[in-house]
Amino acid sequence: MSAEAAELISLLDALQAAERAGADALERWIGSCRDPRLRGGLRVICARDRSHAALAEARLRALGGVPTATAGGELLAVCGVVGDPAVPDRTKLALLLARLAGGVEGTIANVVRTSQGDAETHALLVAIGEDDRASLRWLRDINDALDGR
Amino acid sequence: MSEDRHDIAAFLDALRAAESAGADVLNAWVAVCTLDELRGGLRAIAEREAVHAELIAGRLRDLGASCTATVNELLRVGAVTRFGSSTLSDEEKLALVLSRYPDDAAVTRPITRMMDALDGDPETRELLRLVAEGEVATIAWFRAYQRALGRRVPLPG
Repeated sequence: MSAEAAELISLLDALQAAERAGADALERWIGSCRDPRLRGGLRVICARDRSHAALAEARLRALGGVPTATAGGELLAVCGVVGDPAVPDRTKLALLLARLAGGVEGTIANVVRTSQGDAETHALLVAIGEDDRASLRWLRDINDALDGR
Repeated sequence: MSEDRHDIAAFLDALRAAESAGADVLNAWVAVCTLDELRGGLRAIAEREAVHAELIAGRLRDLGASCTATVNELLRVGAVTRFGSSTLSDEEKLALVLSRYPDDAAVTRPITRMMDALDGDPETRELLRLVAEGEVATIAWFRAYQRALGRRVPLPG
């Protein structure tokens, strides 16, 4: 296996772990979310994250890899807050927006860049990245709507 | 169930059936697609369609409605056969898909029209808003791919 393929598999593995951890946390949030508007969108984002995890895992297996990664400590900490029913919805929303604006977009962009030499993986990741950007746009919009803006 | 709620449930059920059939057609295309980049995009888009179908089915269950709508079987099988065929080129299949949507709004018009009637059900409305965005992203990706194919340049990313 080439060094490029090994690096891509490793990034896909990290991506599937992160998307799965995110989906699990969102599922817990949906269970306690009091605002129906928020709940409606979170359901879509949660389902998307889970499907992204499955797509990334299937692709890394197709490339000869085996998924072993688990979500990092910082992400798990965020997921812990997002999934905690005692934390208010607005706090979770602010936390998620801050994190997405600060880093997660960079992570997917990094995998997309690394996959330039593998057209199938690259296109798959571009589409996943577009889903994530749409999720972020919606979270910003709903945050504004909840603020009455 | 009131007449309005019945209409909304019928719309959601028809949309669910269409999304599910769309996923079947795209998966048939993936199986024979010869272009790596197109195949990667199709995998993601097929999954997006399947997720939409599952989400809408879940919402219908929450609303106490059942999932009974089906896409005409002759049409569904015809589309699966056409897109799962190696006789038709990927370029021709791409043109077939895009010919259904002359403008970006065409893909979401029925959904956005229904969203306007959902003031009393914000949960379904927001779910549909994101489903509609997914549909726009799908058509935008197909258009970008078709343009890139014409120029033989990779997709931006």
